Amino acid sequence: MKSISNVIEQMNDRLNPIVVKELRQAVQGKVLIVVVICFLCLQLLTMGIFLITDESIAVSFDAGLNIFRVLLSILFGTCVLFVPAYTGLRLATERADADVDLLFITTLRPRSIIWGKFLAGLILTILLYSACMPFMAFTYLLRGIDLPSIFVLLALDFIVVAVGIQCAILIGCLPANRVFRVMLGVGWLIIILAIFQFITFFSLSLLQFGIGSQLDSWKFWRGAFGVLASGLALIGIFALLSIALISPFSTNRALPVRIFITAVWLLTGIGAAIWSIGINDFTPIGVWATLNILLHSIGLFIAINEREHLGWRVRRTIPRRRLLRPLAFLFYSGAAGGVIWSSLIIALTLLSMVEWLIVFPHMNTGSETEGIGGLAVVGLYAFSYVLAASLIRRSFLADRVTGAYTWVIALVLLGITTTIIPLGLFFLYGEWKEEWLVASPLGSILSTNSDIVPFSLIIASFCAVFTGALNLPWFFRQFSDFHAPREKATSNPQTSESG
Amino acid sequence: MQVNILNLRKDFGATRAVDDISFSFSSGQIIGFVGPNGAGKTTTMRILATLDEPTSGDATIDDFSIVEVPEQARRLIGYVPDALPMHRDISVHEYLDFFARAYGLMATQRRQVIDNIEEFTNLTGIREKTLHTLSKGMKQRVSLARALIHDPPVLVMDEPAAGLDPRGRVELRELLRILSGQGKAILISSHILTELSEICDGAVIIEQGRIITAGTLQEIVKQEVEQHTILIRSLNQQDDLYRSLLLMPNVATVNQLNNEIEARITGSEEMCSDLLTNLIRDGYRIVEFKQQGGDLESVFMDVTKGEVQ
Repeated sequence: MKSISNVIEQMNDRLNPIVVKELRQAVQGKVLIVVVICFLCLQLLTMGIFLITDESIAVSFDAGLNIFRVLLSILFGTCVLFVPAYTGLRLATERADADVDLLFITTLRPRSIIWGKFLAGLILTILLYSACMPFMAFTYLLRGIDLPSIFVLLALDFIVVAVGIQCAILIGCLPANRVFRVMLGVGWLIIILAIFQFITFFSLSLLQFGIGSQLDSWKFWRGAFGVLASGLALIGIFALLSIALISPFSTNRALPVRIFITAVWLLTGIGAAIWSIGINDFTPIGVWATLNILLHSIGLFIAINEREHLGWRVRRTIPRRRLLRPLAFLFYSGAAGGVIWSSLIIALTLLSMVEWLIVFPHMNTGSETEGIGGLAVVGLYAFSYVLAASLIRRSFLADRVTGAYTWVIALVLLGITTTIIPLGLFFLYGEWKEEWLVASPLGSILSTNSDIVPFSLIIASFCAVFTGALNLPWFFRQFSDFHAPREKATSNPQTSESG
Repeated sequence: MQVNILNLRKDFGATRAVDDISFSFSSGQIIGFVGPNGAGKTTTMRILATLDEPTSGDATIDDFSIVEVPEQARRLIGYVPDALPMHRDISVHEYLDFFARAYGLMATQRRQVIDNIEEFTNLTGIREKTLHTLSKGMKQRVSLARALIHDPPVLVMDEPAAGLDPRGRVELRELLRILSGQGKAILISSHILTELSEICDGAVIIEQGRIITAGTLQEIVKQEVEQHTILIRSLNQQDDLYRSLLLMPNVATVNQLNNEIEARITGSEEMCSDLLTNLIRDGYRIVEFKQQGGDLESVFMDVTKGEVQ
């Protein structure tokens, strides 16, 4: 007995403190208890109504299936709405409290905090799952559904809930004011409801075709692994972004995020290539490239806000080797490095698409080339807008706007050229022309006129070269400053939070 | 244990919050960190607690640099922020247990440490109460208990006496005295200067991010008191006394209060003695002759302008 208690004590010591704290708070709070009681009552009521009102239940062969459908919707709805919202709201409240700083002077790492929150959310989900288990088992006894179907659908829902929890944690970590957080919360709720609807419909479709019979097919497992890999990738990206957001400003926040995203870009690229060859179609490559270019174009708007001067704590970790230093420059925190990294990924993605069509010319139906042009316009404009914003901030607004808000200037520029000027021209001339969207990154994609793409490409290329040339000294200065410190910290060069 | 703050500087954009601050303190000392709001006290303390990185400069805690090895340095620091713990749905004991776990304390040691700290900070009776139901004074004790959980040799406390009632302040003062007696180096910021005067061995006064004066309390008071404020009350001739004082050498200003006259005298204390002799010689029937100030509060008022960054 003593050895068992020792083992339990050792396990207790190894538990993530955040998990312990979160679960203690959840158990002591009223919210979880109310939700669990309502959840159990709802299931009991559903089961009771079915059993009492359905007279054919004794002879029917799909009574279990019918009840399972309803119970699964209740379980998934509760988990996907309540657990992420509860986890995200708790984190957002703690972030608003200055007390959260105290975590960083303990031995806890930001990753322990984020994984702790995530694990606590998962445990709450398991709690709700376990509360539902007796009812699920009962549906099996009522016939019409097999155990593999039950487990596969529960697993699918669990993955979606896990992604939802990590996404909510990311939103909770955002350094935004209450209004912005509420707006994000509403946006998150709309997306979650859409996902709930889609997954419920998808689950019911799977049940229609039967899952048990598909377990020995490669197609089923390919899809299952695809869902699992996508879920894990999303959880990984959201987790790393959350860790970066809560890490102290003085740390190298971008490094793990950029390494992970580069790895995901590479692996998903390989996956898309294999898939494309397998089905002899360009679509997988096209989807992969479009998603990556759009995400990295948004990434440019994020990277530009990073700091321009690194502190001692990051600089002391810069590799001293000549070859590794430029590579580290791309992956380390820093505005210039971040802009180059995102631009490089966009350029390599475009290049991969072009190369793919050269190697497999039969996949090119004509629209692919136009699509590549449109995506190039998106990347080039994103590059131009963020560099123009940075230049404007440094030249005219350095005293008023800190580097962390360069994205606002970039969005204002984007708003002027893609909304205000075209609308102004519309009111001036009384007619709408798609050419007026030539300065918009999405203009060439949204346009129905294919002639606009080359025109946009020329202008976007000119803008990118022009803003790039004007910002060259900025890039060079940051790269020349990017080296391991040669002197003691007391003579640390200037590092400023203005970024 | 020696804490050295060396040419510390911190910029927030164009604003310089801390400007080339250097001072040091060691085990067993309680140092008051004094300055008006926005002077850079909290920024300095956050840098010392490794929460922020300085723009330049460094601080070392027994040779561990907060810039170069923040991980090692932060194990030596207990930080009490000005914000009180506000967590809902968590008891005092669970809160301390959480931080003990976060500092990597194992089960047996954790239980023992928490019990000892609860007893030391007089929290044993309220250990099962949830944090948000506690009074300010109790929360402040919890905050101190949390900072002590890993037995740090250095305590950095930002406004720990703010909002405390007189009893709370006395209790806090006693706790700090005990901790100082145990050899902890304590840096404490407070607006309640009379409190600091009673417990601090030294003080650092800052304004607009710069040190105005620093040293032991005696040194500070001595170097800053070049003017003496004297309250004088005589039985009669209050108006004559006022006019006479205005004509006397070394008397800088004279103010007539209710039934007293306040005179500011430049120079040494001998001048004050000479003034009293002269007044008696001139026939004034002096019943009160009292020197005002000469404490941290008056020094603070003298040397600072109340300007913020």
